[in-house]
Amino acid sequence: MSTSNLTTSMTASVGSKRRQIRVSWKRHLFRTLGTAFVWFSFVIVAVAFLSIILDVFLKALPGLKLSLLTEVSNGMSGGLKNAIEGTLVLSLGSLLISAPVGIAAGIYLSEFGSGIAGKSLRFLSDVLVGVPSIVLGYVGYITMVIYLGWQFSVAAGIITLSIMLLPYIARTTEMALGNIPQAVREAGFGIGAGEGSVILRILLPGAMPAVMTGLFYALALSMGETAPLIYTAGWSNYMWNGQFTNQPIGYLTYVIWTFINEPFEEAHILAFAAAFLITMVVLGLILLGRWLMVQQLRKRGAYQ
Amino acid sequence: MTENAKIAVRNLDFYYGDNKSLKGINLDLPGNQVTAFIGPSGCGKSTLLRVFNRMYSLYPGQRATGQVLLDGEDILSPSYNVNLLRARVGMVFQKPTPFPMSIYDNISFGIKLYEKLRKVELDERVEQALRQAALWDEVKDNLKKSGLSLSGGQQQRLCIARAVAVRPEVILLDEPTSALDPIATLKIEELVAELREHFTLLIVTHNMQQAARVSDYTAFMYLGEMVEYGPTQQLFTNPQKKQTEDYITGRYG
Repeated sequence: MSTSNLTTSMTASVGSKRRQIRVSWKRHLFRTLGTAFVWFSFVIVAVAFLSIILDVFLKALPGLKLSLLTEVSNGMSGGLKNAIEGTLVLSLGSLLISAPVGIAAGIYLSEFGSGIAGKSLRFLSDVLVGVPSIVLGYVGYITMVIYLGWQFSVAAGIITLSIMLLPYIARTTEMALGNIPQAVREAGFGIGAGEGSVILRILLPGAMPAVMTGLFYALALSMGETAPLIYTAGWSNYMWNGQFTNQPIGYLTYVIWTFINEPFEEAHILAFAAAFLITMVVLGLILLGRWLMVQQLRKRGAYQ
Repeated sequence: MTENAKIAVRNLDFYYGDNKSLKGINLDLPGNQVTAFIGPSGCGKSTLLRVFNRMYSLYPGQRATGQVLLDGEDILSPSYNVNLLRARVGMVFQKPTPFPMSIYDNISFGIKLYEKLRKVELDERVEQALRQAALWDEVKDNLKKSGLSLSGGQQQRLCIARAVAVRPEVILLDEPTSALDPIATLKIEELVAELREHFTLLIVTHNMQQAARVSDYTAFMYLGEMVEYGPTQQLFTNPQKKQTEDYITGRYG
């Protein structure tokens, strides 16, 4: 069988030599154009990315002093110690709420979400992703800051940020679980494990590298947010006193958003320093998330 | 034959929604033998296999009626504990499905579901299972390594070890070699031959040579019906039904 196939294909290639050359010429042109287009697109993105980083870095340079980390802001000057602390408190705090709830919601959507409840939840979650974050901030303002009387506070900021992160984490978890082959679920049930063991001890660990990466991205996302916090966390020139309500808190994106509009050189430098810090931390988180996933998958192996 | 049948199927119908895909199956499967299920795609052989551990019940809309007696007890009865059933009837799938944990944990996971063992006893059971699946020599120094880091053939033997470890009475193999290369396939086939000493094995295969090589009994199915069932030797050399003869001589399917 193999001999006759070989003969046929050889004859064919000899017989259609001219046509083959034309096909490969076309293919060559197409490939060259395609490669050129890919490189062109890459250069556009890379130049934009690098110019932003460079611009922010150069404008922040005069402000990149140790006092940035050791002094609190003082009106339009001083350091960013309070804002850095605030950003960490708000972002980590919101992750503390949104991670468990979001992962649980993702599990529900992936494993039990084929019915009407699951479909509704998925739809609402998609809607929530599409709501502009400033609207979330305003809702937080009306409900928590005003109605509950928490005023500008850590609690209002954290809860508003959590609501923003929730659908993102839920969807990432759902997709990570969805990537595990159905046969692995059947294998778990097939050995006599109950629903709980299958989900918590087989599926979730299997999805963990991707879920963790999603959490890192979510953390990065929350650190870069301004709008939901302006209405809920307020601003403070001082370090956080540990109170969750009736106590505003500073954060880096506020510095970027407001200080840049002030007519003082020093305020501008602080704004760019804050922007530079945020950009570097976000970049670091995303790289760390990717690196961790690659490491874990390399060590563990992935499902085909 | 009913008295010594390990599994007896009585008037079994199976539905995917409104679609009837098994029609009045009656079958007596002897213990400690290998029975192969052959037939063209869509004939219902995998469906039948998935009735024996009620795997179908994971999916709403799939249902079975009739009786399937395991040692005389009807496993389709709602009062039959499905998790205990699956401890008695293990399964190996078409594609290797190691759990995302170490080789050791892949095996011990199932054991720990049913038995409280001391560490030493557990170690012994894990080693025994890996030896039974002819994998021990290849992994004994790397038990902490992830099960997913093994090759496809090794992963499939790990899955067999995992099934064997909980000491089931019956092992269902659903096209266990269709994703493997010829050498890995050969190893699995040798394994099947050895395992029949201790277990009742039911194997679904697309490969008629495989059925002829590994099984004691063969069942030929077509369009959801059990066409012919008998000793493998007889079914392949002297089939009683014309449909069977046509299929094994390659006239259709």
